[in-house]
Amino acid sequence: MSDVVITGVGVLSAAGIGYCALADALADGRLCGSAYETALPVTQVAQIPAPVSSVPEFKDDRKAWLALAALDEALADSRGLGDGRVSVFLGTGLSSVTPSELEEDAYPHLMADGRGFDRSALLADLASDRASPHRHDPARVTSAIARRVGARGPCGTSFSACAAAAQAIGEGLRAIRRGDADVAVVGGHDSMIHPFGMLSFIVLGALSPTACRPFDGHRDGFMIGEGAAILVLERAKYAEARGARVRARLLGAGTSVDGYAATAPQPEGLGAEAAMRAALRDADIRPEQIDYVNAHATGTPVGDTAEAAAIQRVVPNAKVSSIKGAVGHTIAAAGAIEAAACVAALERGFLPGTAGLQTVDGQMSVDVLHAPIASAPEVVMSNSFGFGGQNASLVFGRAEVQSG
Amino acid sequence: MVERRPVSVSGIGLLSPAGIGLEGLVGGEEGGTVPGFRARNYVSDRKSLKLMTTAVQLGVSAVQIALDDDGEWGTIPPDRRGIYVGASPQTGDPDALRPALEASVGPDGFDMKRFASDGFPLIHPLWLVRGLSNNIIGFAAAIHDLQGVNANYCDGVDGGINALREGALAVAEGRADLVVAGGADAWSGASALLGGQACGDGAAFVVFRAGGNDVLPEIDALASAVRSGAFLGSATAPVAFCKNLLMSR
Repeated sequence: MSDVVITGVGVLSAAGIGYCALADALADGRLCGSAYETALPVTQVAQIPAPVSSVPEFKDDRKAWLALAALDEALADSRGLGDGRVSVFLGTGLSSVTPSELEEDAYPHLMADGRGFDRSALLADLASDRASPHRHDPARVTSAIARRVGARGPCGTSFSACAAAAQAIGEGLRAIRRGDADVAVVGGHDSMIHPFGMLSFIVLGALSPTACRPFDGHRDGFMIGEGAAILVLERAKYAEARGARVRARLLGAGTSVDGYAATAPQPEGLGAEAAMRAALRDADIRPEQIDYVNAHATGTPVGDTAEAAAIQRVVPNAKVSSIKGAVGHTIAAAGAIEAAACVAALERGFLPGTAGLQTVDGQMSVDVLHAPIASAPEVVMSNSFGFGGQNASLVFGRAEVQSG
Repeated sequence: MVERRPVSVSGIGLLSPAGIGLEGLVGGEEGGTVPGFRARNYVSDRKSLKLMTTAVQLGVSAVQIALDDDGEWGTIPPDRRGIYVGASPQTGDPDALRPALEASVGPDGFDMKRFASDGFPLIHPLWLVRGLSNNIIGFAAAIHDLQGVNANYCDGVDGGINALREGALAVAEGRADLVVAGGADAWSGASALLGGQACGDGAAFVVFRAGGNDVLPEIDALASAVRSGAFLGSATAPVAFCKNLLMSR
């Protein structure tokens, strides 16, 4: 089986623009949220603290801008991709439905008597250049990146809610292992910091009205974030042949479904446990080899409890933290940004803390880090769990670590 | 390279603009809805049905038909049963937004601030949740206790091909012993969006198991085989695949 290495990383997050901005913020234990003024019950969000260049091809689609900016950094970081066969796998979300699109596309077709929409006019308008139906096509960014990198291998767009990016990274790993690609450009992107994006989480009671506190006894929800991360994966021998620098290794990936309910997580974390065990098997890594788990832990009461129980059963000796208190929950991008955080931890020799955490929930028996610590992790795991019960776990190793 | 075992199809669930199952083999080129389709014939939980868009109802129903056709899927441990789906974002009913939009009208027309303050409370809490593309996996996994490998692809026609290929490969590579794979979409009435092209609703899922005559070469050939007929979105390729399988039975 081919070893897969990570040779390029590009990140935009609330920590700033660039992989180093994320690594620095996590190493420093910085809170990156900012105040948000709205009539809605939301006080803090995790926005990118700098202008992001718009892309005419993707009018109004901020998440596309983020992905393309992250791609630029990742390609510069990997110093190109060589001449091999390239695949592209991205995780994405619903965020392209913005209030401005709603205003432009739907509102004008509300009939004068208010009884409904003029559907034929709505469809005709959507078919026009101003509001092409393809504007909402989640695969557009994947296609744009595939064109940009000259992809000749398999490509795909993962739409698995908050597990989307981690799933996409796993797809890239498999494409390389199968020999379908020498290089896989993988990651995720999302931006739901607008009233319509936040609405769905508010009405579900998932957003914190106060502050995000993963694993805390008084946690009351997550902080919405935005961002994108792109990773360049390569077959190890291909990377070596072209003289690429190796930042870390992607050792394995595992997925599972809760099979419990479409609208609620399995409360004992059985699905999470299955994904973690599958990733360990895939990586040929023993549980005691995992030094650190980057938890999905968003700060919701039910989700954190279930994940902590799963971690305790699978890797009871690992240190654990969640970076969502620092950079927010970036939804479909979360798995990619947290993969970048794992690469930073392995490269720089530290374990991130859990920003916002004050007192660990007494019912949890995992070793949660409040603040970052200096360490020399060799193998780490990252969890991403999505609405609909889709779970994905990834295992990363230091550049010089081999599976088994 | 990863070692592979042959993969065959042990169950088929087909819903196309031509009809259900064998009735869906011939016709349907003009698109439209699935004649005779009633989701309640396949999904017993009425509360769940209310949370499903048409495409999700079609997908969950086709999964049910495919597993029934397999007949022995329950003997496989849940963690060895996977599901791979091609699907589009399932935009909620625009009429459900009407009260919120009405409340957002100020002296100068649509007012975003009014929308935020007065419109939001009038939107059904699950309006956006219903639009999640991976709802077919969420509902089908809960109904059939599918706990293993999975993926949800949102790549239009290619999404259905990706789901079939990756689902078959998951069995071939030993990561699952049974995988339900396919796609579902609801494009009937949307031909104006696509320059007058025939559009329709559809869903098709197959059950993959190890052994037998390997179907991976047929899946790899699908990309060139689905460019004719009505546009069914993510269901286009799975419907074509299932038609071929049923005709060869």
